[in-house]
Amino acid sequence: MKPIRIALTKGRLEKDTVALFETMGFDCTALHNKGRRLILPIPDANIEVVLAKAADVITYIEHGVCDVGVVGKDTIMEYGGSFFEVADLGFGACRFALAGKKGDDFYAGYAEKTIATKYPNVTRQFFEKKNMDVNIVKIEGSVELAPLLGLADAIVDIVETGSTLRENGLEVFEEVAPISARVIVNTVSMKLDQQTIETLIGNMERHVRGKKYDDFHYQCKRNR
Amino acid sequence: MPKYNLITPEGTRDYLFEEAASIGRTEQTIHHLFEARGFSRVITPAIEFLDVYNENGHSIPVEYMYKLTDYKGRLMVIRPDSTMPIARLCATRLRDAALPLRLYYSQSVYAQNRVLAGRRDEVKQSGVELIGAEGLRADLEMVSLAADVLSGCRLKPFRIEIGHIGIFNALADALHIDEVEREQIRLYIESKNYPALDDYLVRFGDSHEATVLRQLPRLFGTAQVFTQAQTLLAGTKAEETLAYLKKLYEQLCRMDCGSMVSVDLGIVNRTDYYTGIVFKGYIEGHGEEVLSGGRYDRLIKQNGAYVPAIGFAVNIDAVAHAVNQKEPMERAHADVLIVAKDEEALPHAFDLLSRYNEWGKTAEFFCDNAEKARDYAALRGIPKIVFLKESQSEEVSAEEASE
Repeated sequence: MKPIRIALTKGRLEKDTVALFETMGFDCTALHNKGRRLILPIPDANIEVVLAKAADVITYIEHGVCDVGVVGKDTIMEYGGSFFEVADLGFGACRFALAGKKGDDFYAGYAEKTIATKYPNVTRQFFEKKNMDVNIVKIEGSVELAPLLGLADAIVDIVETGSTLRENGLEVFEEVAPISARVIVNTVSMKLDQQTIETLIGNMERHVRGKKYDDFHYQCKRNR
Repeated sequence: MPKYNLITPEGTRDYLFEEAASIGRTEQTIHHLFEARGFSRVITPAIEFLDVYNENGHSIPVEYMYKLTDYKGRLMVIRPDSTMPIARLCATRLRDAALPLRLYYSQSVYAQNRVLAGRRDEVKQSGVELIGAEGLRADLEMVSLAADVLSGCRLKPFRIEIGHIGIFNALADALHIDEVEREQIRLYIESKNYPALDDYLVRFGDSHEATVLRQLPRLFGTAQVFTQAQTLLAGTKAEETLAYLKKLYEQLCRMDCGSMVSVDLGIVNRTDYYTGIVFKGYIEGHGEEVLSGGRYDRLIKQNGAYVPAIGFAVNIDAVAHAVNQKEPMERAHADVLIVAKDEEALPHAFDLLSRYNEWGKTAEFFCDNAEKARDYAALRGIPKIVFLKESQSEEVSAEEASE
């Protein structure tokens, strides 16, 4: 039988997913000693893991060259595409937020606002819903610089703890959307390999939920 | 200004030799099948007025269409689909035609896709419309024809998947929600976004319909789907629709294509367009459906009254590509090369060309100097050369000729 190909977003989501696979009892030796290889087998589970940049995970799934993908909601919101988005794994949790210089009243006045961001589509959609015309400037690196240098009135960016913002005298004005790791599936694979894929995803969800339960109990014990 | 005279527009391409031949082969197989089932071909213009596609609820967003203006400044589009022009035909030249009408088309459609996503803006489509027929018989005819298209192209194993738009509509109606909410739920079901759908439906509490809607995208597969769905849908307005879909499914299972039919109650694409069953065809190795269709009873009008209709379209590029992977087309070479050594022999040479064709052989005429004929035949893999002098002909196999 042809193996199920899973595309993982390189970096943190990859590490979290590999950890999840290990709790599921998969042999992840190849994933730990990957060297420069980009396609890695999980031998006993008939799975091949592909490591890719976030936006490429979506592209590979859409075209059906990979069957299942793990990618952040941030990437899905920015790039879109047609695939099934079947599960929220809960990890990689953070949020999109609108932020700017501490104390500024962003919505005051009628002047057009300039927003710096790495996520122009997310930003456009957010302000379209508010029927607000904004001038969007795409920035590739540290977006926090833009309001400090006077290029932008605010930024739309991923905020995890908010410490970078604080250290630079910025604050969150408004939450745009919560983000976490999602499982996406190619629409044809979902139908042609229904059983294998449903079992795999069911398994992943069960183990993620199990882990949350453990964390909760750990917290409870500590609080006591 | 940069010049774009040597490249094709993004999303389009040239089809060369084997590729063009395999497109031709696939179209021919499908046309033969359509004609064998009593469908007649229509050809509609590549350019239409935008208004043709602005009819009630036909959901091709304007931003995806290629637009231009005519000499009066009226907005035109390059055909994004072939069903709307056929609806136009039915309302006009075919308004008094006896029903049912069985029409087929085979032409390219155009849509502006996201740039650099690897999608084509120009797609060749062949499709059928059965106009003026409804009920189990008409639906069965079209779904089984869809299966026959894929098996006729020898693409086994394939998958034909059926669903019914009425199930979602009945459940959504019962929730008494506005258009925006309905569209949001539809989108979540279409993309099988289970977590977002669950969260969104929380606002409807324990309502039976909301509970069922939550399960809807999960209800896909084979016969066991109906067992699950029957319990879930009991007592809702969708019960009857489900029973109909089950009947259709059972009939299909008894046909040759039976083992390749499955069901997905979560197919909810283009709900403002389709009114009854919907179906899709999948093949191994192609990332999206290669065939898609359904029943649309509120689109085609004859003399002001709606006429029921059902149809589907096949993505010829995708099917031809898959067929070519399985049975590669070889680039054809001529059976014989006809070489006239002097002008005296020319009339005879051209007569001989048609003679060979009548014998069922392909023959190529050689335009250059006779001495170069051997090298040319070797280059093109033509096995035989005929040299003509005055009216004498001399037949040589290419190998002998090169010695």
